[in-house]
Amino acid sequence: MASESIVVFAQFQSAVDEGFWHRFSSLKLNKLGIDDSPIPITGFYAPCSHPQVSNHLTLLAESLPSESNEQSSTAATSGGNRNRCPVPGILYNTNTIESFHALDKKSLLKAEAKKIWDDIHTGKAVEDSAVLSRFLLISFADLKKWTFHYWFAFPALVLDPPATLVDLRRASQYFSLEEAKSVSAACNEWRNSSLTADVPFFLVCVDPNSLATVKHIKDWETCQSDGNKLLFGFYDPCHLPNNPGWPLRNFLALISVRWNLKSVRFLCYRENRGFADLGLSLVGEALITVPQGRAAKTGNGLGWRDHQCLPNAVGWEQNKGRQVSRCISLAKSMDPTRLAISAADLNLKLMRWRALPSLNLNALSSMKCLLLGAGTLGCQVARMLMAWGVRKITLVDNGRVAMSNPLRQSLYTLDDCLNGGEYKATAAVKSLGRIFPAVDAEGVVMAIPMPGHPVPSQEEDNVLEDCRRLHDLVDSHDAVFLLTDTRESRWLPTLLCANTNKITITAALGFDSFLVMRHGAGPFSSNDERQRLGCYFCSDVVAPIDSTANRTLDQQCTVTRPGLAPIASALAVELLVGILHHPQGIFADGELANSSNSGSCEQPLGVLPHQIRGSLSQFSQMTLVGQSSNSCTACSSTNIRKEEWNLSSKQSIILPI
Amino acid sequence: MGTKEEAQGTLSSTDFGVAASAFILNWNTVCSSFPPWTWVLSHHQVEGYLSLENVLLSSTQEEHSELSFPEAGKHSHQEDPIDVDDATLVHTNPCKVHYYDLHIIYCNSYRVPVLYFRAYDSDGEPLEFDEIEKDLPAYSKKALSDSKWTFITQEEHPYLNRPWYKLHPCGTSEWMKLLFHADDALAKTGVAIELYLVAWLSVVGHVVGLRIPFEMMKQL
Repeated sequence: MASESIVVFAQFQSAVDEGFWHRFSSLKLNKLGIDDSPIPITGFYAPCSHPQVSNHLTLLAESLPSESNEQSSTAATSGGNRNRCPVPGILYNTNTIESFHALDKKSLLKAEAKKIWDDIHTGKAVEDSAVLSRFLLISFADLKKWTFHYWFAFPALVLDPPATLVDLRRASQYFSLEEAKSVSAACNEWRNSSLTADVPFFLVCVDPNSLATVKHIKDWETCQSDGNKLLFGFYDPCHLPNNPGWPLRNFLALISVRWNLKSVRFLCYRENRGFADLGLSLVGEALITVPQGRAAKTGNGLGWRDHQCLPNAVGWEQNKGRQVSRCISLAKSMDPTRLAISAADLNLKLMRWRALPSLNLNALSSMKCLLLGAGTLGCQVARMLMAWGVRKITLVDNGRVAMSNPLRQSLYTLDDCLNGGEYKATAAVKSLGRIFPAVDAEGVVMAIPMPGHPVPSQEEDNVLEDCRRLHDLVDSHDAVFLLTDTRESRWLPTLLCANTNKITITAALGFDSFLVMRHGAGPFSSNDERQRLGCYFCSDVVAPIDSTANRTLDQQCTVTRPGLAPIASALAVELLVGILHHPQGIFADGELANSSNSGSCEQPLGVLPHQIRGSLSQFSQMTLVGQSSNSCTACSSTNIRKEEWNLSSKQSIILPI
Repeated sequence: MGTKEEAQGTLSSTDFGVAASAFILNWNTVCSSFPPWTWVLSHHQVEGYLSLENVLLSSTQEEHSELSFPEAGKHSHQEDPIDVDDATLVHTNPCKVHYYDLHIIYCNSYRVPVLYFRAYDSDGEPLEFDEIEKDLPAYSKKALSDSKWTFITQEEHPYLNRPWYKLHPCGTSEWMKLLFHADDALAKTGVAIELYLVAWLSVVGHVVGLRIPFEMMKQL
């Protein structure tokens, strides 16, 4: 006699497509809010199609009701096809991780098992057999971190005592050659008809002439004829040769209740490359013993046929052998900030791949830039720096956004002007964050101490404090942009940068002309005797004085043609990128455009000028080179030496002469 | 496809539709052992794209036990004992399995088809690019790194609005031009539209490790 081993069913496995979580997040954010009532969903599965891998019960974006008709209480089972048998399910999503863990899994499973039990007893499961594979999903969607905790249950009514396995073998070993051919053909026909392709439970009737037909299980009565072999077939997602798949569990329960059969011959239907594969499919025989125990308890002799007596249920999905929920993180594909970062990185990488293999993206992203001035030049320079991948930007400006500013200063809008106007440094930082959330921008509201401007005695300490702060700011950054609107405000920064040998770029605007230049290296920066390039003040012979007093309004606030600032700002940033990629960096010689200087052709970014002077009235631009001057008021070694941490010296320069 | 387009290696969006139908027919006939390509309409029902999904790849990579346990360290939560009966077999997959979805979508700005793809494991967790790279056969890794015309980028899928990987189209028209000019017969008969996608996929497939069955190539 055959061994008394029980049928051991391979558990259903779940697979959730990320589209499901995307759609669910959207549903939660737009429609559900904190409503945590259960949601009807649809799962999809198909018979096993690979000899080494089981098929899964899959959730897709289509598994959820569309956002327009949540009112329907039943899942609108989306159209199935041969690869997608729809199966009804229910989703319980909680609003906190604590309530997720606190869900009463036992009773939730019991409730779903009861639905299956009811469907069996009322006959609904015969009409629409997919309900036998009804499933349950609990989840917690953390929409701040874009992680999803979830746990599936595939409720199975427990046969007590369990069904015993009389026989299990490959279908090709069970059927004769003739029968096998006919069974395959009949199954393929069932699978190819749009009416039956997604019906996962069926009957296989083989007559004495080896002719097989596949029928709907509701036609069971018509298959009762002595010469026929009758098999209960089902789409088996499992690939294992010694175990039938999970759907058989509730199928056996149905067979026992509806037709009171003790011996059930079943077909685990599996495919290969879209066709019935009887080598992979299994045929087995199970013995079901009516649970007398229960009948004895209820005393009505019906056992399982008693609708009121709900059997136990099992079915919570194991996670790699452990009794824990699963968790998936979709931050990379859902968090808008991360998406923005990867899109920005992609852009730069494309530039490197397609045009500029020597582009040093790491140098750009790690460079810290200090922008003195957050006006027409400052706003544009900040934007251009971000476009090049610079992430650390500090803006210094003591002004407030005025009504005329948004037109020319590209980081501000009307809102920034209201109620007296926001501080430019603050507004600029907020604006940069709105453009690119991963930027590390800082605003410093501070005036730049200027020589020659009168300082009231009660302000002396503040001004000295500002000098100190400016010194620290220059020290803590890698490149400094001088983008203020007066000559004298550039003096102290130039001196501080020369002292610390920082890359310094100046942009200055006239009415229709501009100057963009990089300062040479500082006087103590190297032991070479070679000539340094000049700074902004090197070509001056006059000390910077107050240039704004006794001027008319249009001379105090520099009035310029609007096109100038964007052009100059863009050139200033391109110049910085050029310096970064030049092997000598700040020490690079000044090159001239259109020169036959062979050195310039080697650099992938082109020439690296010292000064660029442009004229809008001519639509022209020229490059110049200027050497440093030993009597420069800003960067000469004599001046710098005087400056070395001598506060009183600073005082003497700043206080009125 | 006008000879002007052909000369440039590009095709119009209508021609893409024609090429796609021919391709599906060809593929599903010749390669019946492969899963079929299908044509999917976008939600506006105007444009469509070719789709081949759930392509299974058994990976030789080691099963990472830390996978899908981002909260593992914090798992101090004691789960209630769940009923498991003797009739339940719990199987752990001996081989790690990766699934791939492939879409061929027409790109209006470059006027060529573009291959979009994504990979995920059996839990649905998307795979990182370096994991995908490990799945690629050696010849395609070489093709990717050597050729200046092929590289993989991550961009938003035009219809699904999620990041997918794609083989960047900027070089496509260049090598399609070469492909068609190399074959005089093709250029003369002008049946190029139907064969465009097969030719295209023979190059693209090589880069991403998708082997085009020889029978399809015979027609080229």
